[in-house]
Amino acid sequence: MNKIKHKINLANISRFRTIIQILSFILIMYGGYAAITISERIPTFACPYATGSAGTCYLIAMQHGLHITWADFASYRGFGFYTGLLIFLAWFIVFNKSWCGFVCPLGSIQDWITKLRKLLGIAFTKYDSKLFKKLRFIKFIVLGLLILIPLGMSNSLFGLPHFSHDLGAPFCQICPGRTVLPLFTGSTSELFIDFANNTTIFMSTLGIIIFVTFIIGSFFKKRFFCFFCPMSALQFLFSRIGLLRMTKVGSVCTKCGNCSRVCDIGIEQIAEDITSKFIVKDDCMMCFKCVEACPENDCLKVSFAGISILNSTDEGFFKRYSDSKTFKIDTDSKELIDQKKKND
Amino acid sequence: MTKNKSQNTISRYERMKKTSTVHLAMEYAKSLKEVVDDFPYNPESMYFFYDRMNAFLDAENTDLANKKVIATSCIFVPEEIIYALGAIPLRICNGAYSYDQIGAEFMPAKACPLVKSTIGQLHVNNFPMGAKPQLIVNPTSCDYKKKMPEVETASEIEFYTLELPATKETEASKSYWIQSIDAFIKKLEKTTGNKLTRKKLKEAINLVSQAQQQYRRLHTIRKQGPVIWGKDVILLSNSYFFEDIRKWTEQLEKLNDELEVRVENKQYVVKENAPKILLTGSPSIFPNLKTPVLIEQMGGLIVADEFCSSNRLLYDTVAVDEWFLYDMIPALADRYLKPCTCPNLTPNTDRDRKLINTAKEFSADGVIYQAFAGCQLYEMESLRIAKKLEQEGIPMLYIETDYNPDDLGQLSTRIEAFLESLKAKKSKTQIA
Amino acid sequence: MNIYCGIDIGSSSIKIALLNEEVKLIAHSISPTGSSFRKNATIALDNLLSKHQISQTQIKYVVSTGYGRKLFPTADENISEITANATGSKHSFKNQSVLRSIINIGGQDSKVIVLDANGYVKNFVMNDKCAAGTGRFLEMAARNLEVDIDDLGELHFANKKPPLAVNSTCAVFAESEIISLLAAGHGKEEIASGIHYSIARRIARLASRAGIDDAVLFDGGTALNKGMHAALEDELMRDIFIPEHPQITTAIGAALLAKQAVENK
Repeated sequence: MNKIKHKINLANISRFRTIIQILSFILIMYGGYAAITISERIPTFACPYATGSAGTCYLIAMQHGLHITWADFASYRGFGFYTGLLIFLAWFIVFNKSWCGFVCPLGSIQDWITKLRKLLGIAFTKYDSKLFKKLRFIKFIVLGLLILIPLGMSNSLFGLPHFSHDLGAPFCQICPGRTVLPLFTGSTSELFIDFANNTTIFMSTLGIIIFVTFIIGSFFKKRFFCFFCPMSALQFLFSRIGLLRMTKVGSVCTKCGNCSRVCDIGIEQIAEDITSKFIVKDDCMMCFKCVEACPENDCLKVSFAGISILNSTDEGFFKRYSDSKTFKIDTDSKELIDQKKKND
Repeated sequence: MTKNKSQNTISRYERMKKTSTVHLAMEYAKSLKEVVDDFPYNPESMYFFYDRMNAFLDAENTDLANKKVIATSCIFVPEEIIYALGAIPLRICNGAYSYDQIGAEFMPAKACPLVKSTIGQLHVNNFPMGAKPQLIVNPTSCDYKKKMPEVETASEIEFYTLELPATKETEASKSYWIQSIDAFIKKLEKTTGNKLTRKKLKEAINLVSQAQQQYRRLHTIRKQGPVIWGKDVILLSNSYFFEDIRKWTEQLEKLNDELEVRVENKQYVVKENAPKILLTGSPSIFPNLKTPVLIEQMGGLIVADEFCSSNRLLYDTVAVDEWFLYDMIPALADRYLKPCTCPNLTPNTDRDRKLINTAKEFSADGVIYQAFAGCQLYEMESLRIAKKLEQEGIPMLYIETDYNPDDLGQLSTRIEAFLESLKAKKSKTQIA
Repeated sequence: MNIYCGIDIGSSSIKIALLNEEVKLIAHSISPTGSSFRKNATIALDNLLSKHQISQTQIKYVVSTGYGRKLFPTADENISEITANATGSKHSFKNQSVLRSIINIGGQDSKVIVLDANGYVKNFVMNDKCAAGTGRFLEMAARNLEVDIDDLGELHFANKKPPLAVNSTCAVFAESEIISLLAAGHGKEEIASGIHYSIARRIARLASRAGIDDAVLFDGGTALNKGMHAALEDELMRDIFIPEHPQITTAIGAALLAKQAVENK
């Protein structure tokens, strides 16, 4: 048992994750062609606008589920919302936020864009502390709107008139998944502006803007969209009860900051927080790059249903971040080099 | 014409160089005798390091004579950058009382002996293995060190002041440090005539990483049993200052292999009840191994230390996410600043946690905190550290000393009494 | 019957204590160290044994302590004077309360030892760099006041005026200061009292660094000086207990450690 644990602690988790991402992408994007349906309540993006999709992301179901009157919540129609939420939770709890890091097709696309940037040798950008703290609330605002607008379409919120039904599933109108994912089934059908009325013009234009921002943003900032993602915000609300967990032993932490520096999203709290045990923050996608980069033994730990499966180790760190090629230092003085040249 | 009575055949400076060489040789011989001959169970592989200590004195050895050498005066200087630019870093933090006495002419009486000693060495221009440093990189870490470039010695080597922030938590301090390193790279490129490339820096980071891996391995072994004296670990760490890094890493690997055999066969250097000590404070540097040798002569065992001349040297790692200069340089900058527990940074609560954690990991029975006379930073932190350790139930002994061998009697009384109290607690004996 | 011997080889005097199996003090001696302390220590022990008609073979174990402890060849073991002092003081402390601190003013050093709740040495602070605040200082003062060192206590209590401040931090300079105070017409009582307070203030500084706590015991030869005792109580603002034989507390401690060493074997 210990031998297996030891092997896992030294493994290249990032490579494993890339493989899972590719497999998940194929399954989610094209599984539909093989008549596979995973669920209509998946805890990642899986867009029905992409024709081969093997399922639907929960946000659609959630928005439709909330598009009912207050009275309906106590009736069988409200039932649809509750069961939808429970099924979502059932899927979610198993893998916690690692749905984001290992499965989400939008996440995978961003990671591939990052790989392209790396090939070109272009530097990435990071948010500084202040900006990070300000921007992280956006995802909760988006989630809030995602919940309130459908409710506001069937009910009067705060004495306002009902919102226009043209808003439909409002988040889907602006979601980058709707515009980006169909591209992978060869379809640009979602890249249009709907001139039907002012609401549709506004929403579809916003959708195009977000599409462009998504592409450019994720080129320069690793996992750009995830910082604003309402699915991430929704998941975080339930993250504490997930079976897959990541914890930290703060007393062992040397504040070296390796974890936050390799974090694609740039979460400084992994390093800064030396008191909390549960270290998964709202932006975290549980990709475990931080665990791979932590050089202290048993500081960052991943467990499933209480069984430890991956621990940070110094050995593991060196295996992943160090190369044992020999190095030739050219430290001869100028005189000696000149002399050697003369002799050659 | 009257004869000039004060006409010397040799200048005072030349005499000073000659005398200091003699003093140094005597000091080294004495220290090596104490460290090697007076202790049993020295590992075979340690003899490489013992012998290499004479590199300072060996006039025949010219390993560094034709190399580009960059002298460094502090652990904050990023050595990977020096390697990547085709030069060899040579740490000149000094431990010789002979040089301390020379440096005393240039510095206030109550000044830090380490800086006095370094100044003394610079004045007589004596570097190991024929090295001729082109530059001395001097971080603005502690007060006395910061002012070293202003001391007028006979040394003609240029000083480069590496600007270091006084804090490490704020955004301002982090960007200041990056700027400082960028400026350092530009200066070093000019000095060495080489350009910093991605390939070379990657190789340099990997080179140092090999040494780090072996060093960590040594500490994993130390946790498994008392198979090596603390004075040996401090000595071999000190030799890292001037040793060829590949040779050092190879020899350390051999030592680790030998120690692993000792662990298996339970060949320990002390008995089970020997008090285990964590040593911290102003750094002991060969030949000034006065405190560690005293502790181990009196029956204690140093299981770990928190010296910048020893266990802190190679501990912190570099995590590069994208192997390009735009990520490698900030990763390096982070290694040297973020986890650093040097008291020149404020606040320094990371040091409290590190000491407590290290004491627990290595099962230390007590902490001995040494401060050099004049070392304001370590003196000030001693009170806070004593309190924190007391809250954790870890006893601490505070001693003030310097390079002068005259206080051996006073030190030994204190250390002996402390070790006795630890032994009594361990065996839970009580009288009356 | 078994006898345990503790020998405290200090810089000015050699103290020997002999304890029997019931840890009762059966004999003790105090003699000058002189210049050849190895010889003098051996002679002192021999004299003590013959005086009380005890044979060498009855001595079960000898522990040496103090400044010259490592150079006494007959000892079975040597232990630092801090441990020995703490051990001896705990034994000699005859009081209801718990002993937490020990002040020792010896011939050439002074120390404050603090014990934790379980009686182990928790912390200690020593002044062994400077004679001010040690027995030497009092010796020098007595000499300059032309009195016996044992009379200093009497002078202290005879003083009706405020104690004179002796400002010099160095014992050597203090000597000049005392002479000029006498020349200026000040009385021996004022000066004696002033010196006691000067030493007591130094000890108070040492004590606060060590973390002094009640109850406090004062030993070493100087503890016989009632003036010194009174000044210490004033400066430390605590009651201070003096054991029955303050000069030999450390030697008694060494003897107790001798008994413990035998029991542990």
